[in-house]
Amino acid sequence: MTIWWRRHRNWLTPALLLAPGLFLFLVVIIWSSLETFWISFFDWDGMGVKTWVGLANYRELLDDPQFYVSLKNNLIWLLMFLLAPPAGLAIAFLVNQKIAGMRVMKSLFFMPLVLATVTVGVIFTWFYDPTFGLLALLFRAFGAEAPALLSNEHLVTFAVVASALWPQIAFCMVLFLAGLNNLDEELIGAGRVDGARGLAMLWHVVLPQLTQVAFIAVAITIVGALRSFDAISVMTAGGPFGSSTTLAYQMYEQSLFSYRFGYGAAIATILFLIMAVFIAWYLRGLIRAEKGA
Amino acid sequence: MTIDRISLRPTRRAFMGGMGAAASTALFAPAIAQSRQLTIISNRGNADQRKAVENIAADFGKAAGVSVTVNNMDHEAHKTAIRNYLVASPPDICFWFSGQRMRSFVEKNLFEDISDLIAKENWAGPMGTSIGAVTVNGKQYGLPTGGILWGLFYRQDTFDQFGLKAPETFEDFFTLAAQSKKAGLTPMSIGTKDMWTAGGWFDHMNLRINGLDHHMDLMAGKIKYTDASLKEVFDLWERLVKADFFSANHTSYAWDPAAAAVVQKKAAMIDLGNFIKYAFPADDLAQVRFKPFPSIRPGVAQYEDFSVDSIHIPSGARNKEAAKEFLAYFYKPENLGAYLAPEGNMPARSDCPVGNDPILKMAAESMKTIKGTAQYFDRDTDPDLAQAGMKGFQEFMVRPERREQILGQIERTRARIYG
Repeated sequence: MTIWWRRHRNWLTPALLLAPGLFLFLVVIIWSSLETFWISFFDWDGMGVKTWVGLANYRELLDDPQFYVSLKNNLIWLLMFLLAPPAGLAIAFLVNQKIAGMRVMKSLFFMPLVLATVTVGVIFTWFYDPTFGLLALLFRAFGAEAPALLSNEHLVTFAVVASALWPQIAFCMVLFLAGLNNLDEELIGAGRVDGARGLAMLWHVVLPQLTQVAFIAVAITIVGALRSFDAISVMTAGGPFGSSTTLAYQMYEQSLFSYRFGYGAAIATILFLIMAVFIAWYLRGLIRAEKGA
Repeated sequence: MTIDRISLRPTRRAFMGGMGAAASTALFAPAIAQSRQLTIISNRGNADQRKAVENIAADFGKAAGVSVTVNNMDHEAHKTAIRNYLVASPPDICFWFSGQRMRSFVEKNLFEDISDLIAKENWAGPMGTSIGAVTVNGKQYGLPTGGILWGLFYRQDTFDQFGLKAPETFEDFFTLAAQSKKAGLTPMSIGTKDMWTAGGWFDHMNLRINGLDHHMDLMAGKIKYTDASLKEVFDLWERLVKADFFSANHTSYAWDPAAAAVVQKKAAMIDLGNFIKYAFPADDLAQVRFKPFPSIRPGVAQYEDFSVDSIHIPSGARNKEAAKEFLAYFYKPENLGAYLAPEGNMPARSDCPVGNDPILKMAAESMKTIKGTAQYFDRDTDPDLAQAGMKGFQEFMVRPERREQILGQIERTRARIYG
């Protein structure tokens, strides 16, 4: 036994350590993805018999006006969410100063990260409420009528993204704060000797040291934007009439409310393909960084 | 019942034994005492109502010499579990919903035909129109227990204060609109965030214009949503939307804020079910009034949405005779009344006491004049089509000018499902 173990432990130890993670990854991610892909070729109500329909689900999807609304909304989410890293960076600079009371400020900016997305969604729904909401009261103070943001088909997605952006900015801020704490003091000192200060110092000395953090912040933000679901579910349920639905929410709605698991799986597959592009980009960056280091 | 007796001895082994016995009462029960047995699966969420089911079952067991087991399931979990257990291990009695939700099981031969029981007990009379909810091709597959009657609700004191009158005809809606707006009220409160309220409004309009047979054909996918017969429905509906008849920004609100507007005297009326009473403080309940949806096309009889829950014998039940005896016992007016009281729904039997609930009393009065009932948009039609339809109606109530597009989209869904 011991001899056998000694002979093989070189590869057995890492294998055993990796096994639980690998097993979960295979079952939860790989196997589920493959099965979803397989189901997308069927007409299935989730209970009864599956009927093979080939590419019919995908063909219908290309004809479905809701699909393009969802796609457009996903794009809005993506673009607006990309505001989070720069905003987080700006706030990180702001609170990274040694001024009395800055800890309180830091915790205030950090707070939304502690709240569940669902809580944030509910708070923002109240905030937007056109009769009792804070926004309506503010507008009324100036004698104006507040727009019913969650009822306006053109503004609703922006209103929902704004609520999701709040915790996302806090998240980026925390990442950048950690990055700022790891700045190389010697480099900054050298820069100062060379006469760099203000914007020049920021641009040539500080920011280059934050690229790794920025890369992670952007990648996580993109994935967060694409899988947006909970805020939509809580605040609008995809409405009014589907105008705030994203691909993730449409998949949920089709599968669970309309009992069309095949169609939902087709939407999931498309979403997976879109995400795969960004994930590939992220992995490439990650591998490059590791080789560089 | 077996479970109670065993779990009196709180040892681990006894507990395990109890679990085993509970899981397979059908196997062990004969050895214990009585030879006849009955298994019931209940889905009632209300704790008092669960108790009522257990009491009725226990009383029946004693009277008929049957050992009865009641298995309680979570209401939502039961909706998916029933698809499994009806096929794999059917109980002798189960609770469900009538209408389309029942029909889909009847078509798969999962519910027992109990027409003979209904004929023998002469229930057709007391059941009245609600018998339609459990009838498929002239045969009955369950007993309607109680349901939600839908219609217009308002506060008498609001109406007195502003001199409003409950609408009798469709044109009265516009009088109501003008007078309410003069008084600073929303004429018709509605919250379409969850979409089903828009489906209910469509039901009322179509039942008043095209009648029950047309409506049920439409729900069954036999009529196109682009059909000319629906033109008047959407024409009139559009007039209401353009007269600012409904709450502003109604897509922002669920039904409860919409009901609250009526309670707080900010809106004149609301189209809802008898559960509106949960929105009112107890002191204000005396002010609530019920008014059926006004008539539209002359000569069309009064048909209403009445969403009925029901009780069934699965066709795979092992003790069908005992099950029928149980139904006969359960369906006695006093037992049915005791079962429904905690939940506060309208009894499906007209001779069943409704207690002191003022809203139920008004609904019961109204039930007597109804000629036929539908269930509700999302209970009568395919769930996939219901989702598409309600979404379309919600959009129509905001953008009536898109009617053609909206109906085209609903029709595409209907064609995909029903061909």
